[in-house]
Amino acid sequence: MPSVLHRLIARTPRSVERDTVVLELEDGRSLDVQRVRDPRAKRLKLSVDERGARLTLPWRASLVSGDRFLQQHRAWLADQLARHAPDDGIAALVPGATSQLPLRGEDLPLHWHEGRFTRITRQEDGIHVDLPTRATPATLRRTLRAFYEAEARADIGRWLPGYLTGLSRAPRQIRLKVMSSQWGSLAPDGTLTLDLALVLGRPSAFEYVLVHEVCHLLQANHSPAFWREVEARFPTWRDERAYFHAEGRRLKSRLHRLLSGD
Amino acid sequence: MFFRNLTLFRFPTALDFSQLDDLLPEAALKPVGPLELSSRGFISPFGRGEEALSHRINDAIWLSVGGEDKILPGAVVNDLLQKKLLEIEEKEGRKPGGKTRKRLKDDLLHELLPRAFVKPSRTDALIDLEHGFIAVDASSRKTGENVVSEVRRALGSFPALPLNAEVAPRSVLTGWIAGEPLPEGLSLGEECELKDAMEGGAVVKCQNQELQSDEIAKHLEAGKQVTKLALVLDDHVSFVLGEDLIVRKLKFLDGAVDQLENTEHDDLRAELDARFALMAGELKRLFLVLEHALKLSKAE
Repeated sequence: MPSVLHRLIARTPRSVERDTVVLELEDGRSLDVQRVRDPRAKRLKLSVDERGARLTLPWRASLVSGDRFLQQHRAWLADQLARHAPDDGIAALVPGATSQLPLRGEDLPLHWHEGRFTRITRQEDGIHVDLPTRATPATLRRTLRAFYEAEARADIGRWLPGYLTGLSRAPRQIRLKVMSSQWGSLAPDGTLTLDLALVLGRPSAFEYVLVHEVCHLLQANHSPAFWREVEARFPTWRDERAYFHAEGRRLKSRLHRLLSGD
Repeated sequence: MFFRNLTLFRFPTALDFSQLDDLLPEAALKPVGPLELSSRGFISPFGRGEEALSHRINDAIWLSVGGEDKILPGAVVNDLLQKKLLEIEEKEGRKPGGKTRKRLKDDLLHELLPRAFVKPSRTDALIDLEHGFIAVDASSRKTGENVVSEVRRALGSFPALPLNAEVAPRSVLTGWIAGEPLPEGLSLGEECELKDAMEGGAVVKCQNQELQSDEIAKHLEAGKQVTKLALVLDDHVSFVLGEDLIVRKLKFLDGAVDQLENTEHDDLRAELDARFALMAGELKRLFLVLEHALKLSKAE
């Protein structure tokens, strides 16, 4: 982290700076907190998600004020960490050992086979993984990601044409990526991005996010007019939003653990 | 005139193209104006001197999007700007500020644009009404999207979607060189690209290589996956299919082109007509094979 003087006289940089500080909690445990100095940040912010604790500092805030802020909120942090503790049911993908994979709101049986190349396919009795003996964990994770992407694309391919009526243009491109907090977005150029974790949850929730983003082609905002478009196409959208509030974080955590190998 | 690359999009087959010929003149290419940087619009597939802005054989439509782009290198503008700034500095004894610099640059652009060279360009596209796809002769998605935008501008509405494969293309391509049966009519070429799954991992590019060989098998066992693969369809067309579903290095082989040599054409237009008919047929077959193999989503 640069000195105080440097920060005060230097021009605001564009890049985000990160480091890690160790915080001792009230019960004596040590906790690694990711410290992020973000030029776009307006105020000090402490947040917790499945990846751990994070302290966000505006560019001109001092490190001392950040430390003080951390100390003041130690109790809150401990409480939040307990709530976001990794769920034992969320396991990383272990070759030969993992017996189930989440897909479309269900946990499907996983069958492991030795194969000539890495491949994951869905069949009637569950998901089958062909894995050569020399395959690396990275290959397996990359193949799993491609598998989930293909399954998500199959769903999108089934739903999207039904929602194109009344639109003068279709999404320019559909990208599936691991998103940290959002479920989807529509860029001004028409690129529709969806969170890969959607394919792990129930299909109706995935379909709602797709409809939501497609409606942004008509209304690039969240105005009452936008919600009228959503309501007309997907009247039960409130149920799906409630589902994300209840299950969303767990879905993202599961995908993160499966694809990161942590 | 044969396409060399294919960027494909799908659209609902129910779309009405009956007004296309009436609407195209509205979206025809206009010469780039003296103070414009570029211009886009439809030109005749038979050449800029011809009148017809589209050509149709059965359910295949041939369109050409022409472009005119001014060539104004940034280095030239910056050099002249620098000279002007120096002149002002010497004359007034002070460095001109940002506003002056911006105004000078705008003045320079206005002065240089009318004198700049104009670079013409052309991108062809084939619309298949039966199966609802548009194939743009481009290997860049952006160029493909620009052509789709021009069609949308002409028709008012054209909800074309990029191809959406319901199976992982990498997995399918890898399976084919690992010995999985290929779709009927397809055979392996002699070119492929293998990538390690790791971010920034190893990339192996093979050319003139027997693909079903021990060397390739070793790469697959190590976890590499196929991201580009050369294929041949019925000895009629050869191409390289990428995991991005863009068809590159498309080549019409003797098996297809021989059919042309058996027919006699006395003028250029008839020759182009015959070639387009041949290409439309081959692309339709290629699309159907890819649609089945990669489970491409329909747009309706």
